[in-house]
Amino acid sequence: MSEPTGVIHDIGYRHYEGVRLGRRHAAVALAVHSLRGVFGLGRTARAKIIPFLLVGVMMLPAVVSIAVMALLQREAMTYPSYAVTMQAVLAIFLASQSPYTVAPDLRFRVLPLYLSRPVTLGDYVGAKLAAMITAMFLLLAVPLTVLYIGELIIDMPGPPHTSAYLTSMAGAVVYAALLACVGVAIASFTPRRGLGVASVIAFYLLTSAVSAIIAATMEETNNYAASSWAWLINPFFLVDAAVQVGLFGAAPSAPGAYPPGAGVVVALLLVAGLIALSVTALILRYRKAASR
Amino acid sequence: MNGVIAAISYRALLGRRRIWLLILLPLVLLGLAILLRALGVASETTTITLMEKFALGTMLPLLGLIAGTGVIAPEIDDGTVVHLLAKPISRPAIARTKFLVAASMLALFAAVPTFVATYLLVDLESGIAYGFALGALAGGVAYAAVFMLLGVLTRHAVTIGIAYALLWEGLVGNFVPGARKFSIQQWAQTVADQVSTSPFLSADITIGFAATALVLVTVVTVVAAGRRLRSFSLTGDE
Repeated sequence: MSEPTGVIHDIGYRHYEGVRLGRRHAAVALAVHSLRGVFGLGRTARAKIIPFLLVGVMMLPAVVSIAVMALLQREAMTYPSYAVTMQAVLAIFLASQSPYTVAPDLRFRVLPLYLSRPVTLGDYVGAKLAAMITAMFLLLAVPLTVLYIGELIIDMPGPPHTSAYLTSMAGAVVYAALLACVGVAIASFTPRRGLGVASVIAFYLLTSAVSAIIAATMEETNNYAASSWAWLINPFFLVDAAVQVGLFGAAPSAPGAYPPGAGVVVALLLVAGLIALSVTALILRYRKAASR
Repeated sequence: MNGVIAAISYRALLGRRRIWLLILLPLVLLGLAILLRALGVASETTTITLMEKFALGTMLPLLGLIAGTGVIAPEIDDGTVVHLLAKPISRPAIARTKFLVAASMLALFAAVPTFVATYLLVDLESGIAYGFALGALAGGVAYAAVFMLLGVLTRHAVTIGIAYALLWEGLVGNFVPGARKFSIQQWAQTVADQVSTSPFLSADITIGFAATALVLVTVVTVVAAGRRLRSFSLTGDE
């Protein structure tokens, strides 16, 4: 009988003995990492071009409005109409960046790696959503705030439009929540970034075109009640009708009026329902992705 | 033309989730047409608004984007395009084949539904149905070629494509009339206007310019995509 020859060498791997920061810290780190990634920070220079270009376009009306106020002493743009006016840019930003937050992890099947850490599935989805919501909010809130600061500095005749600014900021929160939830949910259904971008923009283009066409046709036949409901198909007008007009009494930014009375309640319920539906779809989608 | 490459491209377009988006868009167009017909507002003017705003303005660029980038961009993303390029097939022929696949998808999913939707609304009145079907076909072919070239040039093809369709053709075209001369959507409308005799349809570009531009853009972009593939180098993703 020969002696056993196998030897286990101690090659000096050391255990981690520092502080374990735990689940919450991991989720926050994931959210911050995703938020930076949405704007291309920490990614290649080429990934920064599109987000920063779109941020620049979003800033344009604020800068032009400040210039008009300073030179002509005239108001150029109201706060609550900012998001509706720039809806195409917001939609392109949402479409181009929300697939980034979800597609690579799905495509390279790294979800089990995340879930092997203290992060749970809910934390993962929550962190990704929080990142996209924050990004959309910043995209809208920064130009609004710049515009407000500009208005305060220029000191136009008459009181500053503080309540209009606050209304638009409340609107920005709901815009960000609704758009980000729907965008990330749609994008999560395909691991391909290109198809994700196309799907999210298709959602925006379909809803906005269908709403405009039905509303215009109804107005032609003098059915103004139906046309006011048709505007709510467009998510941007939906939030405007629910929050900025419904809750805070701003002037509608759609080309026509919104449904009065019960319309506000329905619009609010629709916003909440869409967000709930998107989050549920996301969680179901990730349950399936995590089990593979 | 190469049959195998065409078959692979068709499978990539039709076999995955992409197909649902390709079906959804014409379905919404047909749904809107049926809705307008049921409401009894199917006049010539509403039909033209629906076709200009939805069929040519929304559905066509989106379908062009999905089919045009879909034939080549996923392969570049995966890196499987190197297997294709390593075969002794001329690269311009690969580009031509993939372009023909994308163009045929647009004929099927854009031009045919446009014709059916217009027919549902106003029959064959004033030749609107033929006009918009031909316009959608011509515009769709040009979109397919341009977006395929974009797909070869950059990994952000879809984003740049929607920025062109939404910002240039939508926003800039509304404020700067000169920008309309360089928009595939306007060229498609000009073709539709030329074929139909309806007085409600008008285009501000001459058919000579639009037709020349459509042919020129299609040919130049397909040739450029072929040339680009000849010196193609696969760069790593971030």
